[in-house]
Amino acid sequence: MMGEVIVSMEHISKSFPGVRALDDVSFELRSGEVMALLGENGAGKSTLMKILSGVYEKDGGTIRIMGREYENLNPKQALDAGVAIIHQELNMCKDLNVSENMFLGREHINGIVLDNAEMENTARKYLDELGVDIDPLETVGSLPVSKQQMIEIAKALSVNAKILIMDEPTSALSSREIKELFSIIQRLKSQGCGIVYISHRLEELAHITDRVTIMRDGRYITSGDFDSFTMDEIIANMVGREIKEKFPRIKCTRGKKVFEVRGLNAGRSVRDVSFSLHEGEIVGFAGLMGAGRTETTRAIFGVDKKESGTIILDDKEVRIENPMDAIRAGIVLAPEDRKKDGLCTKLTIRENVALPNLDMICGRDGVINRKKETQMCEEAIRNLSIKTPGIDIDAGSLSGGNQQKVVVGKWLARKSRVVIFDEPTRGIDVGAKVEIYHIMNRLKEQGIAVMFISSEMPEVMGIADRIIVMCDGRITGELDAETATQNEILKYATQFESRL
Amino acid sequence: MYRARKTGLIKKIMRIKGMGAALTAFAGLVVIYVAFGIMNPMVFSGQNILNLLRSMSKYLLIGIGQSYVMITGNIDLSIGSVAGMSAMMTATLMTLGVNPLLAMLITMAVCLTIGFINGVLVGRFKLPPFIATLGTMFIARGAAYIVNGNRNTDNIGVVLGKDAADSFQNFFYYGKILGLFNTFWIAFVIFLVFYFFLSKTRTGRHIYAIGSNVEAAKLSGVDVVKTTVKTYLISEFCGAVVGFILCAQAGMGNMEAGNVYEMYGVAAGVIGGVSPLGGSGILLGTFAGAAVWQTLENGLNMIGAQVGIQRIVIGVMVVAAVLVSVIRNRKD
Amino acid sequence: MKKRVLALILGSCMVLSALTGCAGAAAPAPAPAPAEEKAEEAPGETPAPSAAAEEEAAADIKIALITMDSIDQHWVTLNEGAQAEAQAEGVTVDFMSPDTKDDSKQIECVNNAVAGGYNAIMVAANGPDAISGALNEAASAGIKIVYVDSPANVEAEATFATNNEAAGKTAGEEMLKALQEKGIDSGDIGIVNVNASTQSCVDRENGFRSAFDGTGFNLLETQYCDGDAAKAQSIAENYITQGVVGIFGANEGSTTGTGNAIKASGTEIVGVGFDKSDSIKNLIIDGNLLCTMAQNPDVMGSEGVKACVKAVNGESLGGEVTDTGVTVLTKDNIQ
Repeated sequence: MMGEVIVSMEHISKSFPGVRALDDVSFELRSGEVMALLGENGAGKSTLMKILSGVYEKDGGTIRIMGREYENLNPKQALDAGVAIIHQELNMCKDLNVSENMFLGREHINGIVLDNAEMENTARKYLDELGVDIDPLETVGSLPVSKQQMIEIAKALSVNAKILIMDEPTSALSSREIKELFSIIQRLKSQGCGIVYISHRLEELAHITDRVTIMRDGRYITSGDFDSFTMDEIIANMVGREIKEKFPRIKCTRGKKVFEVRGLNAGRSVRDVSFSLHEGEIVGFAGLMGAGRTETTRAIFGVDKKESGTIILDDKEVRIENPMDAIRAGIVLAPEDRKKDGLCTKLTIRENVALPNLDMICGRDGVINRKKETQMCEEAIRNLSIKTPGIDIDAGSLSGGNQQKVVVGKWLARKSRVVIFDEPTRGIDVGAKVEIYHIMNRLKEQGIAVMFISSEMPEVMGIADRIIVMCDGRITGELDAETATQNEILKYATQFESRL
Repeated sequence: MYRARKTGLIKKIMRIKGMGAALTAFAGLVVIYVAFGIMNPMVFSGQNILNLLRSMSKYLLIGIGQSYVMITGNIDLSIGSVAGMSAMMTATLMTLGVNPLLAMLITMAVCLTIGFINGVLVGRFKLPPFIATLGTMFIARGAAYIVNGNRNTDNIGVVLGKDAADSFQNFFYYGKILGLFNTFWIAFVIFLVFYFFLSKTRTGRHIYAIGSNVEAAKLSGVDVVKTTVKTYLISEFCGAVVGFILCAQAGMGNMEAGNVYEMYGVAAGVIGGVSPLGGSGILLGTFAGAAVWQTLENGLNMIGAQVGIQRIVIGVMVVAAVLVSVIRNRKD
Repeated sequence: MKKRVLALILGSCMVLSALTGCAGAAAPAPAPAPAEEKAEEAPGETPAPSAAAEEEAAADIKIALITMDSIDQHWVTLNEGAQAEAQAEGVTVDFMSPDTKDDSKQIECVNNAVAGGYNAIMVAANGPDAISGALNEAASAGIKIVYVDSPANVEAEATFATNNEAAGKTAGEEMLKALQEKGIDSGDIGIVNVNASTQSCVDRENGFRSAFDGTGFNLLETQYCDGDAAKAQSIAENYITQGVVGIFGANEGSTTGTGNAIKASGTEIVGVGFDKSDSIKNLIIDGNLLCTMAQNPDVMGSEGVKACVKAVNGESLGGEVTDTGVTVLTKDNIQ
């Protein structure tokens, strides 16, 4: 099952201006195994793998792939050496089609002319092996994120990579797609491939992992057979402290109704949605991918046009045509894609926090009061424990968890009535996750209505007081979180309408 | 059986990305041409068609160069000035007695050097293409002025003699082959070669990839620097050829030759469906765009229309074309 | 796809409506009167002047007027003179100039005239050589050529132009006279010209310089403004800073800029210019410019048309060159 060592990285160090990303890290991968690479965000996992795949150059240490030592690895060399990486942030050329993307950089040619027919057939072959229904001639930009990820995986397969690095591959996949991915991983293992699996979904690992390497703060902590660790031990190694309660739910008394949505309709994804939020409770929205939860929040927040529906805040009907209306009414949203929709990554933290709150920090002449701005920003950093050397750092350079905190921070500066979180802890390390939970709890305690969407069932069950399940655009179930079971939730989440 | 095959071919053609936009541009071309012809039937005359094909060739070549650069998401502001520099340099060399072929080779070498510089500045040093090519635009225009001492050149035949001058001018402008002016054939052949290069070779594919997502391209092992340099080399090559044509047309070098041509190139590309954001558009569309531009210029002249009308109309069309392509992208 | 078709059709419709507007508005409108209905009219029904011309010989002569550009006042006046004469003689003159001064564009205009079936071309060549090739082709197609303002190196029926060298000399003599009256015998004199390649302007400068031969004045190196009044003003201001006693502007733009600079400086520098316009008139009236050499472009236009008609009707004009002359416009005789 497990063969010889195919990747050996020893005493790797890497520094960026002002940050020591990797300090004497060693890593080993054998053929035929899945090695989980775990660690909080900022632990150095991505950096280490980027060095292995040739994106970054190491400062010190040795890299051996298949027994051969490599000094200055570039992406093309890494590919040739058999290392393929599938990034968490998908890297596809949206204007090219599936086949063109799959063979980008290594196009098959007939003389000097591209052999499109051959590439399309080969692409089709790999897609079929994955069991995915995608036409190789489809333009990638028109496909949803989950399908794009499948293509990335197929692309790596087509390179016949012996070393496959997967960075959060399942974050946008449905459970069916995950099962298929795992069966393919098993197949790759039996063929002698070594797979580095980076994921924050610790529950998934048990199904697929052989060994685990844990990193923390740029250092190698420990590694070993997965079975020899308990989940608590793994988490403890990752955060350096024991997390007694993974989900710190706080008990609050449910107060009066704060927010109500009636008969919301917005396209195929939001059909006749009605629900309400109360003071002192967190409502979690569960469901499969494509259930319509994100679309619901966007319709409420005024981003997408709604066809019909009423929104009632504190017993008064509110008219929301655009996000500005929602914000003024006191309804705020932390979106699913925080890099794209939640932050202006090229602006500083200061500017991001201030952006929706300019009405609060500008004088009557429209000039920004810098002192107020700084105060607001520093308060946000304090309240949310945002790890940053200063507020004039580009938001895009923060880690995922800290970015999420900035997104939340800008809303907390206002007195909001309803805070909507869409996948607040996706791609965030365990420690930061807990901090986000604490933030949600604090809001709950303050009487603010909190609604959050999550695809991690344990999270929904652990933090929410009430769970609403959606399927195919409709609300199919409502459960009390303390008595709900995963089976029940799954039942409601798969309650599709009969097409017969 | 035959019908099945025929629809298969049409489907195949329509599947080519960018074909829809190109065909729409051709449709617009026909509408405009017919409209002008109705207003002045001489527009339909054979002589006028010949003229049209000849004079659009300049814009077609500039459009090809500019399209290559635009598809990677960059822009080339220097191509017009390079054309001017090429016209002046070729003419000046010839007035000094240099053999036309040698003069063209030397000029081409200089123009390609500018292309190389553009490519390195944008590709390797990551200068914003607007700024980098703005700089080379001024440099090239300055060179065009200086090369003959801040004057337009004499007639190219002063030293070489009338015969040499005539054969040069005939080759690039006044001569005909198979009933069409040489200028058109030159542009058409170059069009075919670069169309093939863009759609059927690896480098062509990489050009689209860079324009679509340069990060993804880089991570897939595409040599972004080399490919960017190639696009600018092609662009300045086209500029150089246009310079030859302008020199042959006037029989001398004019310091202002090629002025503002770079913008006409952008317009031709955009009308034909080449998105200035990069990643999409085909040269067939550029062909249509250049034809639209020339038909407008020619038609307005033939009906004695006011100055500026052409500019306004082209401006409206460019804005409309870009709006449509942006709306389309948003739908995806 | 559908959206694109719609957008381009809409764009084309805007083209058409814009054209109906301008085709009607522009004085030389060759388009037949019912321009609005062109969309429904079949091509054959439109009265085609060219077809008719072949049959009714002298009555329907078509002349193409191609000047250096279509925006400068000088050319506009030339066109007006031509149009007036055309009306009187019952012929058509189409103003087919390019929008900017550009050899390539002017060549295209000549080509269009040939393709448009014109009987004669009145042309003010940018330069003596550039359009020679195109003009030769026109001549071989049997089209009569008449030069207005600036000739080219191709044989033509007649030329109507200002003798620029003589006019320039006159300008120089006027400045000399004025300076001597003020008691100034020596000093620097600046020249603001258009560019080094437009023959007419070069001739004017040469004539101007010749007026100062043997005098104690130092004529500075000429600066070029491309005919742009703003640029000319900067150049003149530099001359004033250098302490010149007189400045010569070689065309309308140069003169306007020179006059404005002298006005702004409040000095008593003698300014002499070329061409007339409302701005230049005002500058002379206010005393900022001494005088200007006013050309007679309208005379060029009308005489040119007369010559074209004669040539098309078979008369041989022998390439005669006529000096259409200049009037020295001063405060006293300006209207």
